[in-house]
Amino acid sequence: MNKKILMLAFSATAIVTLAGCGGPKPLLIWVGTESEAFYKTVMEEYVAAYEVENGEKFPHAIRVVGTDATAAAKFVQDPEAGADILQIPHDNLGKLIAGSSVIGPITDETLLEAIYENSPESFHEVIKGSVGGTEYTFGVPIIAQSLVLYYNKKFVNETQVQTWEGLLEAARNASSVGDVKQAMMLVGEDGYNNSFLLLGMDATTKESSLRLYENKDITDNYALGDDTVARMKWGQRFFTDPNGAVRPTSSGWQVALKDEFVLSTISGAWHGKAIQTALGSNYGVARLPQFTITEADAYGTVTAGTVMQSGTFADTKMLVMKKNSPKAEFLQDILLHLSSPEIQEASFVDADNLPAYKNAAVEFESMATNDLAKKQIEMFEFGRPQPFGASAVFNFYYYSKGAPALLMEILINQDVSSPADGIGDFSTNAAILAQLQKIQNIWITGNATPPA
Amino acid sequence: MNFFKGIIDRFKQGSTATKLSFLVSGYGNFTRGQLIKGLIYLLIQLGFIAFMVLSPRVNDTPFGIQSLLNLQFLGTNPGDIFTNADNSLLMLLFGVVTIGVIGLFIINYLSNTKSSYYLDTVLAKGKKPNSFNQDLKLLLDERFHILLLTPSFIAATVFTILPTLFMILIAFTNFDVNHQPPGQLFTWVGFQNFIDIFDGSSEISVRFIPVLSWTLIWAVIATFSNYFAGILLAMLINQKSVKIKTFWRTVFVLTIATPQFISLLAVRNLLSLDGPINQLFLSLGLISEKMEFLTGATVDANVARTSILFINLWVGIPYTMLMTSGILMNIPKDLYEAATVDGANRSTIFFKITLPYIIFVTTPYLITSFIGNITSFNIIYLLTGGGPAVPGGYIAGQTDLLVTWLYKLTVEQNNYNLGSVIGIITFILTATGTLITYRRSKTYKEEEAFQA
Repeated sequence: MNKKILMLAFSATAIVTLAGCGGPKPLLIWVGTESEAFYKTVMEEYVAAYEVENGEKFPHAIRVVGTDATAAAKFVQDPEAGADILQIPHDNLGKLIAGSSVIGPITDETLLEAIYENSPESFHEVIKGSVGGTEYTFGVPIIAQSLVLYYNKKFVNETQVQTWEGLLEAARNASSVGDVKQAMMLVGEDGYNNSFLLLGMDATTKESSLRLYENKDITDNYALGDDTVARMKWGQRFFTDPNGAVRPTSSGWQVALKDEFVLSTISGAWHGKAIQTALGSNYGVARLPQFTITEADAYGTVTAGTVMQSGTFADTKMLVMKKNSPKAEFLQDILLHLSSPEIQEASFVDADNLPAYKNAAVEFESMATNDLAKKQIEMFEFGRPQPFGASAVFNFYYYSKGAPALLMEILINQDVSSPADGIGDFSTNAAILAQLQKIQNIWITGNATPPA
Repeated sequence: MNFFKGIIDRFKQGSTATKLSFLVSGYGNFTRGQLIKGLIYLLIQLGFIAFMVLSPRVNDTPFGIQSLLNLQFLGTNPGDIFTNADNSLLMLLFGVVTIGVIGLFIINYLSNTKSSYYLDTVLAKGKKPNSFNQDLKLLLDERFHILLLTPSFIAATVFTILPTLFMILIAFTNFDVNHQPPGQLFTWVGFQNFIDIFDGSSEISVRFIPVLSWTLIWAVIATFSNYFAGILLAMLINQKSVKIKTFWRTVFVLTIATPQFISLLAVRNLLSLDGPINQLFLSLGLISEKMEFLTGATVDANVARTSILFINLWVGIPYTMLMTSGILMNIPKDLYEAATVDGANRSTIFFKITLPYIIFVTTPYLITSFIGNITSFNIIYLLTGGGPAVPGGYIAGQTDLLVTWLYKLTVEQNNYNLGSVIGIITFILTATGTLITYRRSKTYKEEEAFQA
């Protein structure tokens, strides 16, 4: 009797398990977690409008799922199980189009026209990629993002926040014995979060000698310009000042801001709410500060008194579509809808997504009163899109082969990686140049010292 | 050899029906009136032939004979922007699955010949072959173990043996970040990945010995510190002079009752730069300025390593304490009485009776604990993330174990081939260590000792 019950239970489990499998696959859309609810509503409205327009139901169920920054990596591993449409940061394009590509090119003329008509020119190159020697457009920009400065209004006034020197002054003023305040804390030491000096530029001419995978060419990198050296020298003074910038700690930047150990931090809109929570009514947001080259920093053609502007990566998040999706005939129309200015503004209002629509600041009334959005858009003037989308190798070399750590060594003036190389620390121009040469080598070959 | 001799003997000594059942599965059963059983054998054979010949396709990749042929190159068509490339990963997987199916078919095929031969002997004795119902009853009665073991055997094949074989085979391919299916092909590279460990230029060769060394140091210290500290604690609590023993045991067991990752994250916060431990040490004058224990930009590798060893002690002691408490309560009292009568003092009793008894009983636990520590992912990944980083852009940090390095190589860097090599090496280490230690232990050699 017991054996029969056991067999029955076993069979029932097997039947239930098998019954759970199967069924038609919905049209799957992956978007950022923060926008999941918004895009669900948008797609419900799209389906309703489709029925009215075509007199028939949309032929597929649509499922919108929130994903994180690893969406592209997950998709590459199993495109069949992946979304028909997915949102990715533009610099993830390289890994998706490697080889014969797992995403399909945009071919619809109306959509192509809308993309190039509506998005800022700086995005036009980063949404394209080359497969088999031919260049195609793959991405539809829908969200823009750049770094801004978040600061504590209790200690920093609106004049001080314009320059790093002002923030330094505010930190000194606010400090007392046993309570040292720092001007700024980095949220991370990776190549994204520590890039504000590297990507800086002359505030007047907006020019920089820095070349980073220009023309999507792995050899077209240059980090040895006079202005880069001068910015590093200035940065070194900033990071070694007792009230200057500090590296991330294990307590985290939220605690440091909340407990008023630091007066500001550099981050994107994605940390905006957490920072608001930490700073409360003292929350302030500004564009990244300027700084002035002094006699101590002047190098080569860059003279004392030159005003520099901190730089940022100014990126886009874009929608791409699965190659050879069984629902391919519907995807480009959905992309056209999701990237329309109306939906982008609604996305901004609903989910704080900065629009990738080039006239947003002028045309979108909703942006007029939003400081965070305005400051991000201001930073686009001094930003460059991460140039890593052409190849997965660019991203890997820039971020993962040790270059950010070497950059930080210059700033903190400590040679951690190769103390025995005879160069010493980074108090001399020669040592800084030698370190920048290593960084440039890594960008090109993945190694600080390329094989002979 | 006996296995093959048995098959040959069955063929030689079997009846014509048995001989024909070597060609047509179930023939021997059909001709003896076992229609359903014969039909099952036949259907399995026909299904197998259809599977092999028709080579059904999933995601455009075939099973069957075609999948075995694909194992040679793991795909040759690189695809283009509009057509999919051969999927090397699926080709390898389906090839392995087909090998598994062949294995299962062979078992069924031999079962068919054995069944027919058995019928020969039954008929020779003048008995009547079993009906299908009688066979089923046998399966639910004296052959119930076969009924229960068959699903387990199939599950072990599908979920353990085949994935293990698949993982091992990946170590012989170039399935890395630059060869990511389905956009890109990967292929066989022989023992190149193993050779790379010793060539001195790749990350795996530069970092392998340091990571292996730290893994072994960690495993030895973590195992024995937990073990002896747990024993001491158990003995302390078991002292007659200690009151409310249950309370003390419960206090220590609370660590087990809380999910480990929560405990670890809590400890990480306690040890953060602005956390309570730093404050306590500062106020006690043990440190002159705040220090990083686990993460943060300025953490020292030795401090991080020592910290995780201490935290592991805190997490691990209760397990040993509980187990040892049980053992201590079960040591035959007459051993102690005899020792006391013979004039043994407390330390002699401990070293001659208590400790040998505990070690005898807990040797298997000690071995599993050692293996568990070699593959101790949670503690390292949650507390330090493998950091601090090694200068030079290496993936493996200074507290990374082989297993956390493996995780980074695969999940974060997509270098599955190197991950697989590390996995195989870890397996060889743990398996060899386990076998040697266990076979040399008294637990194995003197199995009968200490038994009542």
